[in-house]
Amino acid sequence: MPKAKQPAVMALFRTPQALLDAVRTVRERGYRGIDALTPYPVHGLPEALGLKVSWMPRITKTFFFVGAGLGFYFEYWAMAVTWPINVAGKPYFSIPAFMPVTFECGILTTGILTFLTLFAADRLRPKPSFKALDPRITNDRFALLIPTGFEGPAPATRLLEEMGALEVRELHV
Amino acid sequence: MSQGHPENTAQQHPMALEATPPIYRADMTLTQVTRDIVAPLDRRPNGWWWFGFLISITLLAIGASAVVYQFREGLGILGLTYPEMWGTYIVDFVFWIGIGHAGTLISAILFLFRQRWRTAINRAAEAMTIFAVVCAGLFPLLHVGRTLLAYWLIPYPNFRQLWVNFRSPLIWDVFAVSTYATVSLLFWYLGMVPDLATVRDHKPGKWARRVYGFFAMNWRGTARDWHHYESAYGMLAAIATPLVLSVHSNVSMDFATSTAPGWHSTIFPPYFVAGAIFSGFAMVITLMVIVRKIYDLEDYLTVDHMEMMCKIMLVTSLIVAYAYATEMFNAWYTSDIYERNRFYGVHFGLTWTFFTGPYAYAAALMVICNVLTPQLLWIRRLRRSMPVMFVISLIANLGMWFERYTIIVSSQARQFLPSSFGYYRPTRFDYAVLAGSFGLFFTLFLLFVRFVPVIAVAEVKAVLRQPVGEPAAVMEESHA
Repeated sequence: MPKAKQPAVMALFRTPQALLDAVRTVRERGYRGIDALTPYPVHGLPEALGLKVSWMPRITKTFFFVGAGLGFYFEYWAMAVTWPINVAGKPYFSIPAFMPVTFECGILTTGILTFLTLFAADRLRPKPSFKALDPRITNDRFALLIPTGFEGPAPATRLLEEMGALEVRELHV
Repeated sequence: MSQGHPENTAQQHPMALEATPPIYRADMTLTQVTRDIVAPLDRRPNGWWWFGFLISITLLAIGASAVVYQFREGLGILGLTYPEMWGTYIVDFVFWIGIGHAGTLISAILFLFRQRWRTAINRAAEAMTIFAVVCAGLFPLLHVGRTLLAYWLIPYPNFRQLWVNFRSPLIWDVFAVSTYATVSLLFWYLGMVPDLATVRDHKPGKWARRVYGFFAMNWRGTARDWHHYESAYGMLAAIATPLVLSVHSNVSMDFATSTAPGWHSTIFPPYFVAGAIFSGFAMVITLMVIVRKIYDLEDYLTVDHMEMMCKIMLVTSLIVAYAYATEMFNAWYTSDIYERNRFYGVHFGLTWTFFTGPYAYAAALMVICNVLTPQLLWIRRLRRSMPVMFVISLIANLGMWFERYTIIVSSQARQFLPSSFGYYRPTRFDYAVLAGSFGLFFTLFLLFVRFVPVIAVAEVKAVLRQPVGEPAAVMEESHA
């Protein structure tokens, strides 16, 4: 990320429930910009963090209609406009016969673009030199990151320890 | 990655929790899941792996030599003669595409139905889909004869300003299969990203870390990442579901939209899809029985999982049986002499006795393997026995190959005029290329189990300690 690194504390929890409780408490205490890192999607976590419903489905729907529309238009143009060829007397502009390719164009566009959109949204990119904040996050620990800003790491650290964190660490993210 | 409502906690379904057993063993921990699934990637492959790999590579080499010979000599080396111009290449194409369908069914449709037992098998099943589609895709390219010109199938701007004929089902197929291959690949890879990150963080060795790090795409597992990820995954599942149904429907329309007796039938799309799922599940069972044995994954690919797949096989076998019955009934009921001639001529022979016609052996194999043998799965003891289901799955795929053979080859043998009657004799090259496709499939699959986590680690973790049939619950203090 091009942004300058911010000081933060990271706490590791043993269970998703402990993480959820901690997220709720920390947010009640007024901390903002917190993030949680988990080995698998924990249900209720987006709500606890106050994340909005993902816009992915809406954009996917749009992709489908754009792809299908373009596919259909291209079929019409190729079959009936630019060089109409009579094949076994079938009508040039035959909507039922265009449907399968229209559908597949919609699906292909949706698949590829949704995939790329996710990569953009999650800022996924090849990174051979990746350094994990803690390798246990992709294994069995549930991490909570709190940016500490001007007040320093001490209050957040104390709070996280009260919440039963196994380990609290200062770092820059 | 079953999405569920946080309100659906275990407390609200006490009865359900007691009634259904957990999917995975109760004492399993997250660490253990990581270890069990990542560890085989560190070990050198064992003797069984090398044994399978050598056989697969050999088969692949045989098939490749036959293909090279075909490039030299032309399609005449196959059994193709008038009136049978669609031979085993098309049979193999339909066969392999069908195999692929179970993978998408498991990964997308069972995902949408929140079937959490799919977590253990979906990665391998999707891999199977991709490799099966790779095998399938090769056959039309070989079948067209001038393989170097196969790109003519794609609409591209050319100096003659000609476009492909979008009213032809053969072009629908090009679009359906290429879309299917692309979307399956993306879906598979997307599901794998968090697991590649797990491997990246737990594999010793600098280069391995760099390679897995490359493909893990900077995955960190933040709540925001997961939030979009789950949504995108769900959307891909939602588009893969109609896609998979459309693919084999399109394949069936290659036949159904023609006027040839035996092909011209409205039952084809659902009939083909059911057959595809049947043969695909048979192949998943074949592969899973092997994988769980070689990699000691009996705790993940449990007997319950295998039993579920057997049940699906049984159901689809019944659907397929119904389709066979409809076909037979309709051949008689249409009163169309060509339909009757095709059906009787192929199956009954000149003496009008059943199973004496020229293709009766194929039809008999199809009924025995796809309808009769799977009925053994009604017996619980048999559908929980690995050797039994392994044999039944092999028999089922043999039968499904012959089903396609019956449909595709025998219909061309009895067309409208006696001058268009014929008999297809596959040559050794037909068989060599079929064997080669199996070689390619198993080579790719063995490489997959060697280098990629066979089981979706993150998905298994998300449903650890949850009962089979209930909505997803927030995991409580369960794995201390």
